[in-house]
Amino acid sequence: MNGSFFVNGKKEEWSFAPDAVLLDVLRNNGYTEVHRGCGEGECGACAVILEGRLVNSCQVFAASAAGQKITTVAGIGSIHSPHPIQQAFVEAGAIQCGFCTPAMILAVFCLLQKTPNPADEEIRKALDGNMCRCTGYVKIFEAVRLAARRMSSNE
Amino acid sequence: MNRIEWYFPETVDEAAALLSREKTVPHGGGTSLVKSGLSSFSGVADLTKLPLNYLKMEKGILEIGANQTFATVAENLSNLCPDCILVAALGSAASTPLRNRITIGGSVSFFPPWSDLIGPFSVLEGEICTEGKNSGTYDLSSWLANRTVQQGTLVTSVLFPDAADWDSCYYREVRVGFDYPSFTVSVVARKNGSKIEEVRAAVSGGLERVTRLSGIEDGLNGKDLSQLASLDVQKMARVTFGRKPAGSAEFLSEIAAVHVERCLKSVLLGEGESR
Amino acid sequence: MNEFSVVGKPVLKVDSLSLACGSAFFTADFGVKDPLYIAFFYSPHAHAEIKAIDDSSALAMKGVVDVFHSGNTSSGLFTTAGQGYPEPSPYDTRLFNKTVRYAGDIVGAVLAESEKTARAAARAVAVEYTLLPPLFDPEKAMEGDAPRIHDGDEYAPLPVAYRPEQNIAGEVLFSFGNVEKGFAEADFIEEETYNTHCTSHCAMEPHAAAAAFDEHGRLVIYSTTQVPFHARRIVSMTTGIPLHRIRVVKPRIGGGFGSKQEVILEPYVALAAWKHKRNVRAELTRREVFTTVRTRHAMRVRIRSGFKKDGTITALQMDDLMNTGAYGAHALTVLSNAASKVLPMFNKIPNMAFTGHAVYTTLPVGGAYRGYGATQGYFAFNQHVDAICRKIGADFVEYVKKWHIREGETSEVFRAIGEGTEGVSQIVRSCKLNECLDRGAEEIRWKELRGKQIRSGSVVKGVGAAVSMQGSGIAMVDMGSASMKMNDDGSFNLFAGATDIGTGSDTILSQIAAETLGVPVEMIVILSSDTDLTPFDTGAYASSTTYISGQAVLRCAEKVGDQILSAASSMKGIPVGDLSLGKGGKVINSADGSEIPFSEIACYSMYSRNQFQIQAQASFFGEESPPPFMAHFAEVEVDMETGRVRVVKFVSAGDCGQPINPALALGQIEGATLNGISYALTEQYLFDAKGKMTNNSFWDYKIYGSLDIPEIKAILADSSEPSGPYGAKSISEIGINGPAPAIANAIFDAVGIRLRELPMTPEKVLAAIKAGR
Repeated sequence: MNGSFFVNGKKEEWSFAPDAVLLDVLRNNGYTEVHRGCGEGECGACAVILEGRLVNSCQVFAASAAGQKITTVAGIGSIHSPHPIQQAFVEAGAIQCGFCTPAMILAVFCLLQKTPNPADEEIRKALDGNMCRCTGYVKIFEAVRLAARRMSSNE
Repeated sequence: MNRIEWYFPETVDEAAALLSREKTVPHGGGTSLVKSGLSSFSGVADLTKLPLNYLKMEKGILEIGANQTFATVAENLSNLCPDCILVAALGSAASTPLRNRITIGGSVSFFPPWSDLIGPFSVLEGEICTEGKNSGTYDLSSWLANRTVQQGTLVTSVLFPDAADWDSCYYREVRVGFDYPSFTVSVVARKNGSKIEEVRAAVSGGLERVTRLSGIEDGLNGKDLSQLASLDVQKMARVTFGRKPAGSAEFLSEIAAVHVERCLKSVLLGEGESR
Repeated sequence: MNEFSVVGKPVLKVDSLSLACGSAFFTADFGVKDPLYIAFFYSPHAHAEIKAIDDSSALAMKGVVDVFHSGNTSSGLFTTAGQGYPEPSPYDTRLFNKTVRYAGDIVGAVLAESEKTARAAARAVAVEYTLLPPLFDPEKAMEGDAPRIHDGDEYAPLPVAYRPEQNIAGEVLFSFGNVEKGFAEADFIEEETYNTHCTSHCAMEPHAAAAAFDEHGRLVIYSTTQVPFHARRIVSMTTGIPLHRIRVVKPRIGGGFGSKQEVILEPYVALAAWKHKRNVRAELTRREVFTTVRTRHAMRVRIRSGFKKDGTITALQMDDLMNTGAYGAHALTVLSNAASKVLPMFNKIPNMAFTGHAVYTTLPVGGAYRGYGATQGYFAFNQHVDAICRKIGADFVEYVKKWHIREGETSEVFRAIGEGTEGVSQIVRSCKLNECLDRGAEEIRWKELRGKQIRSGSVVKGVGAAVSMQGSGIAMVDMGSASMKMNDDGSFNLFAGATDIGTGSDTILSQIAAETLGVPVEMIVILSSDTDLTPFDTGAYASSTTYISGQAVLRCAEKVGDQILSAASSMKGIPVGDLSLGKGGKVINSADGSEIPFSEIACYSMYSRNQFQIQAQASFFGEESPPPFMAHFAEVEVDMETGRVRVVKFVSAGDCGQPINPALALGQIEGATLNGISYALTEQYLFDAKGKMTNNSFWDYKIYGSLDIPEIKAILADSSEPSGPYGAKSISEIGINGPAPAIANAIFDAVGIRLRELPMTPEKVLAAIKAGR
């Protein structure tokens, strides 16, 4: 079947199987920054923003997402012009292998949109679906606080 | 591979008509259909365009449309009645991205052993409203007792008669924070000074999907708070479990009872429930 | 005290922006033209002979190109272990074995036009088995009537003890002094048995590989590998493809922790590609990663010591039984490390004996996993020491400070136990364990909390500690090398074989080169882990990269520096002795203080006179393996009614020598700490009666996430290792050794019971509390 998807502001027209999940459709069409870590909705590495909400793209049928707005980490900033959250992750040393990073950054993006100055408990909860095996989350939390400070003071 | 058609009905009648067809499965956006796959179906009725994404409280009656997600319910209720047990339960179920997809309708249709909704549903004595082949309003026990009523039928909303009126405590037994619960404990109570007007307690995840602890309830309803100390709560709170990866049946039964006592003390006496 | 420009600074990781912005490529992200896909089919039985394979239904499916299995594809014996050649692991497996030895063992591979088709066809292959008796209990493996797991022509390529007829995949025997005499001299004898369990690395990126032909028909393999050079060799060996026709490229890797120090997928994609002259991909699902890839070895450690009232240990005896699973990859070496990284810690014990056996069972295969045997050994060792301290009324921290190995000292164990070959004698040249203990004890509030059993309702607090050491590469075995060339603008290309698996080695190697040449890190352009373009490196394991690959880079950069001075000398007619490297990319003339920018020298050497490319290469192998040291402290709360253990705070204080990049070093400690905590408390493999893993998904295999993290504090001691590049040792493994024993010791401090079996689940803790042990 066919469907349109608005990915990072670009209108895409794709063909896909009726039982295809959004993760595979995105990856097969070049959005390889969306990662498959488990395919079961547990690790969070495949998370994207769908109509303003963080979702595990491996748990969303592409057909369900047709016609909707999708944001991947490439949609919030680029290597030439990184988003403050991306920059904060770099500066806080919050990236080791980087496999969980795109989805983690989107989770932080959603958090800071809703709660610009989050307390620790709120950060924990916002990232509860994003597994990281490398960092112990310590510097990830520092990155969130750094990004929050910068974005609220518009540094 | 058989052709699978996707439908996007815009009215409840359209949706009900689709569901009356053979091999057409409803999908609210949750994860259960993604996990089980579409191979046994020839049609999917995507319910997300239906006008069922509402939450309202009128005259104390809470009505939640089937398309509300766990996330939106928790968010909306934390403004309307932040102490409602549904906020704690639905707000801690699964994970952030999963709460953004799990719907009330899907959760009620499925009510898996690890449901975070079933315990609160039981103690709040909620009702399930449906349209379609078996349209009507169901209480939890009749809903659970007869799964066939769901065939060709669409869950449209759930109702709670007095969700905001209770003090509550919710506990979910998990191995790590993001985990399905091996059991949940739901306690709600209304007090008048030192008198317990009414208390309701339920344990979910046992061999019976959800168990109301009627012995404890009868022992406390209308009594003074001091009555709590004279009940052997842990003995009365024992529910039968099967073995789960988190522990043996005996272990789960024992600590569920410990947490029932802690929840009761928390709600009735204000003693902190440990994390 | 750090007088460096770039070393010792938290330089931003060179690849982190690309990872944050999604422009970096992992193996599964590489576009490969018109690929075929491999999906495996596995044995459902723990032990069986393959009687017949009927692949006709699979072959008949549209889009299926081939089905490979023992019926149609023969291959030689090898080991999947990514180690130096010849490997210290037995050659006991083939690409397609005729006997299957655990539930999940690879039986065959389907090659098809799409992944979906390949997986569907894999399910359609019908295999008939003759069941053989399984063996699940390692304690029974060496008994006479135990089923024999390997009874063919398996062999060990190195002259090491290998007795598959007794299911022995590896054996380590070592002693000095006379333990019986030592026990006779003791006032007390303490003996305990500890059991650790098998766990999965849970790197977020599942294993994947792709084999694609370049324009010359050579095979380029992209792989999630920690060991690109070993992978190239092993692919050639198992498939017969000439090694010079193979190129292995390592892209970004989504974590390894040892799971990718194994050559599993590469031979299959190469075999299939070479046969059909088509590009081939394979990607494991997370479920497959749990059982197809390796695990941490489960180990039983029996430890017995004799000691005097004043704490002097007169004899120590350790007997390890390690469950290596169906195949012996890393069996001997993990077993060796359980002794060689643990026993030297208390080097004044005059009588010591170690016996260790790695045995086959019909269970998933153990392999390399961060800590590599030391983790298991230290779970026992640290609790044993804590028990000794309790017995004699000593404080754990003070006791360890008194007895641990010191700078200038050695241990018999270094010489005695190697990794398949002889051990290497060494003197410890840097050890700041006392500083680690003191700073860690203060941070955890040891004096305030130890022994106080502060109670709040049914929850009791306790603190516990552990110490550990590891190594920095394998002495006389691991080798790394690097080459560099200079560019017109005074920048340098650095080619390093060393393998960055998310650890940041690209960054620290760039820092070392930059420091040596006096340039900013941005002027070093690093390319690593491409078997065509970069020189050899054993790969990312044994905590070798900073120490060994770092030394190679340093020496290479020094040679480049010498060439720069020499070129500047001929350019300006100044004696070389008056010239030195300045800061910021220039040569200084000491006679008059004048400066010559690097770019000028580069252009002169490339274009003007006596033209030559300023370039050099260097190799390095360690003659020692200087150990990092760490002190680990846990503050826990134990709920006496539910058995739930909550880690409130964890402090890991480490001596890694001079940290090349303190931010990266702290990151390694923090990550290893959290991994160690869930290893101790929640991770486990559950099996059914037939030996099949029942919890092969994150649904039921639980690791700590953001909701669970305690306060974690990592501390770096002030230290410098004379033999290390700019004083560095290593840091990547050691952090994982501490949490299990520190938490166990903290539980004892809280409730007076000792947990000797991992994981320390609430049910086990509660049962122990009720039994009063």
